[in-house]
Amino acid sequence: MSARHDLVVVGGGIHGCTVALMAARGGLNVALVERGALCREASGVNAGTLTMQMTRVALIPYALRAHAMWADAPNWLGHDVGVVVCDGLSLAFTEREEELLSYRAGKRREAGAPIELIGANAAREVEPGLGEGVRLAGHCKVDGYANAYLTGLAFHRALIDAGVTLMEHRAATGIDRDEGGFAVQTAQGPVRGKRLVIAGGVWIEPMMAWLGVPLPIKVLVNQLAVTERQRPVMRTVIGIASGLLSLKQYPHGTTVIGGGWQGVGDRERGGVALMPDRLIGNVRLACHAIPALKEARLARAWAGLEAETADALPAVGPIPGIPDAYVCGSVHSGYTSGPYLARLLADLILEREPALPLFPIDRLLPPQSGRAAS
Amino acid sequence: MTAPLAFDVIVLGAGPAGATCAATAAEAGRRVAVIDEQPRAGGQVWRAPMGGFPGKGDADQAAGDALRQRLAASPATGLLGHRVWSVVRTESGYRVDTLGPDGPTALEAPSLVVATGAHERVVPFPGWTTPGVIGLAAATVLLKSHGVVPGRRLVVAGCGPLLAVVAAGLVKAGAEVAAIVDIAPRSAWLSRLPAILGQPRLATRGLSWAFAVAKAGVPTLSGHGVRRVEGGEAISRVVIGPVDADGAPVEGPEQVIEADSLIVGHGLTTASEVTRLLRAEHRFDRLRGGWIPVVDGAFQTSLPGLHAIGDGAGIRGQAMASLAGEALGWHLAGRTAEAAATRARMAAATPFSDAMAGLMAQRPAQVRAIAPETVVCRCEDVTRAEIDAAVDAGATQIDQLKHFTRCGMGPCQGRSCADTVQELMAARLGTSREAVGQWTGRPPLRPVPLGEVIGAFSYVDIPIPTPAPL
Amino acid sequence: MTARRLHAAPERVAVTIDGAPAMLPAGESLATALLCEGHVLLRRSPRDGTPRGAFCFMGACQECAILVDGVVRQACLTPVTAGMAIALRGAP
Repeated sequence: MSARHDLVVVGGGIHGCTVALMAARGGLNVALVERGALCREASGVNAGTLTMQMTRVALIPYALRAHAMWADAPNWLGHDVGVVVCDGLSLAFTEREEELLSYRAGKRREAGAPIELIGANAAREVEPGLGEGVRLAGHCKVDGYANAYLTGLAFHRALIDAGVTLMEHRAATGIDRDEGGFAVQTAQGPVRGKRLVIAGGVWIEPMMAWLGVPLPIKVLVNQLAVTERQRPVMRTVIGIASGLLSLKQYPHGTTVIGGGWQGVGDRERGGVALMPDRLIGNVRLACHAIPALKEARLARAWAGLEAETADALPAVGPIPGIPDAYVCGSVHSGYTSGPYLARLLADLILEREPALPLFPIDRLLPPQSGRAAS
Repeated sequence: MTAPLAFDVIVLGAGPAGATCAATAAEAGRRVAVIDEQPRAGGQVWRAPMGGFPGKGDADQAAGDALRQRLAASPATGLLGHRVWSVVRTESGYRVDTLGPDGPTALEAPSLVVATGAHERVVPFPGWTTPGVIGLAAATVLLKSHGVVPGRRLVVAGCGPLLAVVAAGLVKAGAEVAAIVDIAPRSAWLSRLPAILGQPRLATRGLSWAFAVAKAGVPTLSGHGVRRVEGGEAISRVVIGPVDADGAPVEGPEQVIEADSLIVGHGLTTASEVTRLLRAEHRFDRLRGGWIPVVDGAFQTSLPGLHAIGDGAGIRGQAMASLAGEALGWHLAGRTAEAAATRARMAAATPFSDAMAGLMAQRPAQVRAIAPETVVCRCEDVTRAEIDAAVDAGATQIDQLKHFTRCGMGPCQGRSCADTVQELMAARLGTSREAVGQWTGRPPLRPVPLGEVIGAFSYVDIPIPTPAPL
Repeated sequence: MTARRLHAAPERVAVTIDGAPAMLPAGESLATALLCEGHVLLRRSPRDGTPRGAFCFMGACQECAILVDGVVRQACLTPVTAGMAIALRGAP
């Protein structure tokens, strides 16, 4: 009979790692089970953007605090994760986009995001690389990005330093409930814990099904592309009012292009193929915003999976009907807000009052169903 | 965006396999498109003369001209000088996106034929990135297509039959070849002669190459390999030393050869980018060039409608490639009798190409002997030492190694180094090539300028998906 | 390195190489033309800045990726045309 941990976290992306780290530092004996390597799924293949301008209004208060966490990463994570804080611009090129931008930026501002609306000339002063035709821009001085690869490395070291039992390359195949709590089944034997956090990203849905809880999680297949190194052509993080472009050039010269254009894939096979028309559409937006990108070559493109709930808000909180079980994921712009939300959940687990409300999943479950028999 | 052009068959690659397949199928009534990045058909072995050079007038040029004429005369649509950057499965087959001189073109067909051939393999040694070091195949391109000898004093090194072909070609062109440096001990050629003599026409050509070299009095050092290249912004010296039959260095005196050009190659590896991108099933076959798509008797891969022929489906040489192209062309046109007859001729040709393939296969010992400070991934300057360190740090599979080191993330997308990196990983882990795997295929198949791939467009016409909820 | 042509070069056209005027044979691959003019070093590797020149001459290795008229192009796949502005310094 293997030892029983205070907490078992299933899933080693940003959410799972942060919960595990905070819980361990709060005094719990924690095990983290991850079928691959830490932070290699959505947490490893996303564009790394940290921005208020694509964050949902309801999440702005969380994003503000998460932003501070990211900037402070060397302290709580123990390592620099390549966070760059810089100006961010959300651009409007058409009348419709102008309306969309005014409305959305306004709403985000009301929620506390430091976003100003500026005109084309002011936008070009912030970003000299801008193309023609900007009608209006949302400007945030504290947007930026993190380095997904460094983040994975940093969590690896921090978790081990905090005494977390880190089990990578160990796939969870089921979860049983037993007298002392939970037994996460793996090919190498069960991992037992008094408490459980399911932080499996797009795999939250099948994991919840192991517990008899039907939580539908939509799988987004986000296309991303990166250029070869190029001379510096931009110095901000750029988006478009519709939310369908994310654009940034890294210090070593490559530019990552994203925006949520959908490719082909599923949770069984991962991101399998990219739709050429959609890749072209995405790249057209990028070249329209920063024309100098046309000189560079596209080096590679990939598709990563992102989890989304029915209302596109997070699934963070206790699992109804199952004491000591929690879910943490599907944050949508999870890279920006994820660590803070995960920290709030850790506070709950540690029986501290979370500073802001969580996002309990009761709202997402079918009425009267999904409560697993105790 | 304009709708893709519709065909019955799209052929990727206009070398002996692809061009023969396209011409055969088109002549038999199918609507066929054949695409190649080069401006003229012929692949590597039958590369056309370029830019005003009339060519050398040899047998290869005649064969290449014949194929080019046949293809041009056939009803097949040729998209030459077009770079394929995306291939995806569709409901009804495959869609191919290309960039050509006039901009982007997309094509669709239920049948896709991959005839993308092989890459030259150069196993790294210190100084191999120095300007003036070029491949054996590169020297062939320069000589055959441009009538250019790459330097004043040349060293030709490596292994495989191409070594003799290039050396002989340069000698016949009057170049000063300071030395031929062959990894194989002299006996290697002889042990395969019985198989080679099964195809007397091809054996004669091989012997004539050896004769030309001997007649010119060029020193040939068998059982030797390049230890390092010296020179800063351009090569000035080649240092060679003895190696065993597997290509690993052994004790013995080094020789320094002054040269302003080193022409080096160590066989061929399959160009499996397209089948890998589509996630067809592959198997590892060292003799046939490394990772090759699994195909059945009708050249079909594990994906319906996707076929692979020629060296891209396993190194078998030009004769086999042409026959496979013909057989598949008949098959795609529904002409089963002719297809079967052609496959029978392929079976008779097998022994020779097995012998040839053996001469061009990767030598693991040679790879494992690479010095730690040697750059392995040229694009990203990743050394052997860094690759070993990444394995020691926990990388167990090749995609993981890429993530740790950036190896394979550069513009060549692993074409220059994948074979070597996979072998180094397997060696360090003490595991199989199958366990180490291949890099996951991703578009674009080759780097493409953003300005070209976007074509001409107006902003308002970009089809925008529904914006995310607020 | 002195590459040698076995045959008379095609008619030459005016281009610039890093701003300096030069005459290169029209229609020849730029990689070959540069080699024959003695330009063996084409660029430097992005990480370590080591000297690089054309290696495979057939479009696979990307070592000959230089700036032609402001856009990154592989010299071995680019035919020489009149007025071309070729930049060897500063290409990635």
